[in-house]
Amino acid sequence: MVLALLGARVGSRAVELDDRVRLVLYERFVETGVPPSAAEVAAEVGLGAEEAEAAYRRLADAHVIVLMPGTTELWMAAPLSGVPTAFRVETPTGSFWGNCIWDALGTIAMLGGRGTVETGCPDCDEPLTIRVEAGELAEGDGLAHFAVPVARWWDNIGFT
Amino acid sequence: MLAFRSEAHVNRWCERTGLPKGASFSLETAWRLADAWYRDRLSPSWRRRTPEEARAVFDGLGLTGDFWRLT
Repeated sequence: MVLALLGARVGSRAVELDDRVRLVLYERFVETGVPPSAAEVAAEVGLGAEEAEAAYRRLADAHVIVLMPGTTELWMAAPLSGVPTAFRVETPTGSFWGNCIWDALGTIAMLGGRGTVETGCPDCDEPLTIRVEAGELAEGDGLAHFAVPVARWWDNIGFT
Repeated sequence: MLAFRSEAHVNRWCERTGLPKGASFSLETAWRLADAWYRDRLSPSWRRRTPEEARAVFDGLGLTGDFWRLT
């Protein structure tokens, strides 16, 4: 019983810690447009680098973020991408890469509902501009296509 | 998850790449999905949606059927 309670308390502390790391990670990413390293987040949260790396791994295991394979470097903190993609997003807060069309539009939603996505039709390479103003789609003829059924997204989150 | 000019472009791309066609829908719906899904992502109280909550978001936008099943 005591061990179970202790385990629950340790678990809840880890969740609290991971929440702080998540918030700082997103704040830094939005501020700078660049994915923060675990060491940068550690300094801000007042943790050791190893503790922050462990938090990054737990957040990745929980599918909150995605790390570059075999590292603790951020690949995705959805909707933001840590690497350049075919989805450039311009917002009043700054410029970002989205992981896909959903995440590119999600970046605008996350940052206040105003911005533009620049991408291209994968079939013909024609540029596509999608603009959102005051929380409403203001420009954007075309379709979104999701290739992979929802239940299989996390089989390979880099291809959906 | 890509954006195409039209259904014909989706079909041609699927044929060329050999990938099966998934789900296609308007960019208006894509925006509403993105807004519902990500609007609160920077909130301190944000947490991952449960499967039931995710299903409710999809259902609310008419995104139903086997493709949208979570398990």
